[in-house]
Amino acid sequence: MDLAYQYSCLISLTVADLKLTWREKSAWLTTALFACAALLIYSFALDLASGVVVSLLPGVIWTVFLFAGIFSASQSFHADRENGVLDALRISPVHPTIVYLSKTISNFVQLAAIQIPVLLGATVLFNEDIFQINIIMIVLLGTLGYCSLTTLLSALSFGSKSTNLMLPVMALPLLVPLLIACVEATASALDETPDGAPWMMLLVLFAIWTTLISALMFPLAD
Amino acid sequence: MNLNTLYNLRWTVLPPVVGVAITVMAGLALVSAPTEVVEGDVQRLLYVHLPSALASYLSFGITAVCSALFLITRDFKWDAGAQAAALVGLIFTALTLITGALWGRPIWGVYWQWDPRITTTLILFLIFAAYLVARKSSELDNERVARFCSVYAIIGFLDVPLIHMSVRWWRTLHPQPIVSRLDPALPTEMLLVTLFSVAAVLLVAVWFIVLGVETELLSQRLLKIKGRVR
Repeated sequence: MDLAYQYSCLISLTVADLKLTWREKSAWLTTALFACAALLIYSFALDLASGVVVSLLPGVIWTVFLFAGIFSASQSFHADRENGVLDALRISPVHPTIVYLSKTISNFVQLAAIQIPVLLGATVLFNEDIFQINIIMIVLLGTLGYCSLTTLLSALSFGSKSTNLMLPVMALPLLVPLLIACVEATASALDETPDGAPWMMLLVLFAIWTTLISALMFPLAD
Repeated sequence: MNLNTLYNLRWTVLPPVVGVAITVMAGLALVSAPTEVVEGDVQRLLYVHLPSALASYLSFGITAVCSALFLITRDFKWDAGAQAAALVGLIFTALTLITGALWGRPIWGVYWQWDPRITTTLILFLIFAAYLVARKSSELDNERVARFCSVYAIIGFLDVPLIHMSVRWWRTLHPQPIVSRLDPALPTEMLLVTLFSVAAVLLVAVWFIVLGVETELLSQRLLKIKGRVR
């Protein structure tokens, strides 16, 4: 395997995917709007305007990211499958792992871009200083772990009707460690307590584990 | 005795052995085993609960191994094994959770406690329920569904240690609820009945898996015949 060639393919595929996503604005715009609407709904349902929000805010933010991410992930192979891009890539010299990595990076960038207005919205609505460097690190690590797993699962298409329904059902139980680690790490960052170290470790472990195992399994699933 | 000869005993030896084992187990658990002094008769649920939990772990382990073997060999008999074991694992997980809740209510005062082991078992149940729903609801051809589900089963099984670790930390770092928790040492008679129950329930699980594999192989053959007729 020519590594330099595969690396250039990775960059080309990622850029092409991001360009395509940018042109077809409906998918990421819908996801971003859903995330903002969900944040608003949570603040009504849990009465986050009343004052004490620090204990609830990490859970609210991460459940919004999780559900919005499912929207985004379920679309990731949709256009490629419909236009026969995956079949073309299969007969090309591009290694399947490169296809997987390009999709993961593209999904990561998309979701990270969607998370910015959500974090901004949460900062304004709940008057909490969320834009801290350690919270941004947690968000990036959590998003990496999240995207690496959901990208693989979205590649496991189970037929036209059930794909979108099956993805959350299959992904959410597997994402429990990520959710717990992200919520606890964010909570300790907001509280400024030193309890966050084990959760950061779990987050790093989850991100590495899911990326490795998904990169290994994708050639078998594709 | 080679493996094939052993496997052929599934119709002649396994059913009566399972029948006798379960009958003896019921007699031992309900009559012979002494009544626990503090917990009373509700403790007898242990003779179903613990073996069911072990049977479910065994079944999900078999699902993961068979899935890996299917991905390597592309032989559908391994896929049949994975599917059958997943269903059996799901049944025993449900039994574990139900008997655990029934035991927990009088002893702990609650049906459910966010104990790491219980929570991990519930998540395991959800993962393999999703696996089976995906299999049954798919409109794709058999080969692709088998491939996708095998990947999912392996990831699901490998995720279990991480789930357990995260839930354990989550519980440890939070205040523990105050419940009446009793941990009596198990007397020898109870221990023997428990060990026998484990053996009996594992036999039932193996028998169910064998039946599931046979059913799946027959349905695969039927699909092939239907394909030829069309």
